[in-house]
Amino acid sequence: MQAIKVKHPEVLAPAGTPEKLRIAIDYGADAVYIGGDAYGLRSRAGNFSFDEMKEGAEYAHQHNAKVYVAANIVAHEQNLAGAGEFYRQVRDAGIDAVIVSDPSLIETAITEAPGLKVHLSTQASATNYETLNFWQNEGLERVVLAREVGIDEIKEIRQHTDVQIEAFVHGAMCIGYSGRCVLSNHLSLRDANRGGCAQNCRWKYDLFDIPDNGQKRELLGHGPDGKLEEFSMSAVDMSMIEHIPDLVEAGVDSLKIEGRMKTVHYVSTVANVYSKAVRSYCEDPENYQLDPAWVDELWKVAQRELSTGFYYGTPDENFQLFGKRRRMPRYAFVGEVLAYDEVTKQVTVQQRNNFGVGDTIEFYGPNFAHHTQKVTDLFDDKDQAIERAPHAMQIVHFTCDAPVKPGDFVRANEEK
Amino acid sequence: MTELVTTVASLDQADQLLAAGADRLYLGEDYFGLRLPHSFERAELTQVVELAHQHGKKVTVAVNAIFHSDRIKKVAEYLRFLESINVDEISIGDPGAIYLLTKEQINLPYIYDASDLVTSSRQINFWAKHQASAAVLAREVPYEEMVPLAKVITIPVEVLVYGATVIHQSGRPLVTNYSNFVQEHLDQADRQRGLFISAPHHPETHYSIYEDINGTHIFANNDVDLMSVLPKLSELKLNRWKLDGLYADETKFVEIVKAFAKARDLMAQQALDDQQLAKLDEIVHDNQAPERGLDRGFFDIDPNEVK
Repeated sequence: MQAIKVKHPEVLAPAGTPEKLRIAIDYGADAVYIGGDAYGLRSRAGNFSFDEMKEGAEYAHQHNAKVYVAANIVAHEQNLAGAGEFYRQVRDAGIDAVIVSDPSLIETAITEAPGLKVHLSTQASATNYETLNFWQNEGLERVVLAREVGIDEIKEIRQHTDVQIEAFVHGAMCIGYSGRCVLSNHLSLRDANRGGCAQNCRWKYDLFDIPDNGQKRELLGHGPDGKLEEFSMSAVDMSMIEHIPDLVEAGVDSLKIEGRMKTVHYVSTVANVYSKAVRSYCEDPENYQLDPAWVDELWKVAQRELSTGFYYGTPDENFQLFGKRRRMPRYAFVGEVLAYDEVTKQVTVQQRNNFGVGDTIEFYGPNFAHHTQKVTDLFDDKDQAIERAPHAMQIVHFTCDAPVKPGDFVRANEEK
Repeated sequence: MTELVTTVASLDQADQLLAAGADRLYLGEDYFGLRLPHSFERAELTQVVELAHQHGKKVTVAVNAIFHSDRIKKVAEYLRFLESINVDEISIGDPGAIYLLTKEQINLPYIYDASDLVTSSRQINFWAKHQASAAVLAREVPYEEMVPLAKVITIPVEVLVYGATVIHQSGRPLVTNYSNFVQEHLDQADRQRGLFISAPHHPETHYSIYEDINGTHIFANNDVDLMSVLPKLSELKLNRWKLDGLYADETKFVEIVKAFAKARDLMAQQALDDQQLAKLDEIVHDNQAPERGLDRGFFDIDPNEVK
């Protein structure tokens, strides 16, 4: 009997560099988003030149994937000149859409770079269907919802608009409505809406009142462990891996992964997991089951505790970083497979972090391929036996019992 | 020419504010508007509108919340109510409400107010093309940016000349969440509770924080007071001045409004000198709550200093 398939939403991964763009696509992402040299919120992420955008778009299109450029600053007077030219160059590089939040830049993109598709950034905090209708009316193809929108709200939004809906499913979160926070401007003179966010929400604050005598009265309390707990507004990260069916059924067109500043290890792992889960569900929704290995895999690249954000209600204290932190698994990214010889069972690896004989390492590749291997021998590029591979980018080979593929990555648990 | 816009905390205060020289009263209810000194129910609101109109003055009603699906459904009906009681203008911060004005053919001018998000002339003119009557300028726009901006805007902008500046809005109950985690429970986190936070290594700072049905709101360290630079605003023809009494005592706020009204009137007669300005600023300081500071916010900041 043929399984009933459902519409496959896009898995959208971050790509801080051209290398990460290729890796995200190789690891299953249907689309990636990148930054240009201007107008982006991640001024410190590796941003793309127009030539790199063109190459990236060509690579993506060959692999049936798309590339979006985030240009989501809120412009001040001195940022306006040149915006039209920027969007024209982005369009001419073959980019599939720009992600914009400032209405003035949306207007500029639409009027000065005709043909370029525009998506509303989550920075505009769109939370209801009339807002989506407003932006569709302006000519936008898609709206990235505010992270404050729940699953039931998405279902309702879906019924009242046919503009594409994109929603965050994984990664770090703003504690406030994105765009409606200028803590960084006021506390650090860094503009949160122009790429300068100093993450002041994650600071430790004093909490107090000032009674009639004019003296500060401390109101900080003690955590369950008896230790003084400072006031903080730090959100745990989001992971919706356990709720893929809900997102697909609610009608989300694009599942977005946060993290243009994150590593190759993170991008490959998270893109791999979500594309695998979404594909599994859409091919056979009735028999879909969450694979616990996917969840384990995401923990290997997690930086903070994980939660479902606002999807199932207003986040309580467990969705913020208070008290003793959960111990995170610590995995190091140790290398990339260059070649595998089926006859000799020798794998050639380019080293990214120190590893050696006696270590247990883990190979992973696209489509969630995995192999765990204990290193029993190790040779350098002159076939000399060595104990460790200590040099960055060093080429080594060793015995690997199962076939692995060029482009597969290698990680090791640092706690062992 | 110059228009003084002031928040309202009660019908009584509305009367005093109109007598003090306010040209436009700004009020609303928490379900639709953000960070208001008082949440006015419809009957009360109607009274204030009638009162203002008797004085030949105007009323702007706050409809500037970030609406989720449950609330956007109720906005059209509220807008029709506001239209029926002859409200002069509304404030909007969520484009969904603008969409509703058109869709429902409701005839109400609006001022676009998205707290920190209106930062350029091009954006202001974008809202003008969408029939906005005015826009609230973000408090993070320094004077040096106002100069070129003022030359090309096609609708008036409103500048906060006195009051608390919001710098963060969260959909989460941040104080309640903290309070639930620690053993010492805080029984209240509303505005009346008067909570502050201070930044690490800066115990002298005092950022107001409170929760309401719109989430958690945090305010700048000091309230804004632009009395000393009003002539500079006037030169740029930025003539819609907002005074926000969110954290001010009801009676003292009226005194502060009087001081700004006096400055406006003297300026209109070209009779405002530095000495008078200093005196009027003294009145503002005298009526400021002792636990709250005053400064000029981002006004004097060099735009190049902001990273």
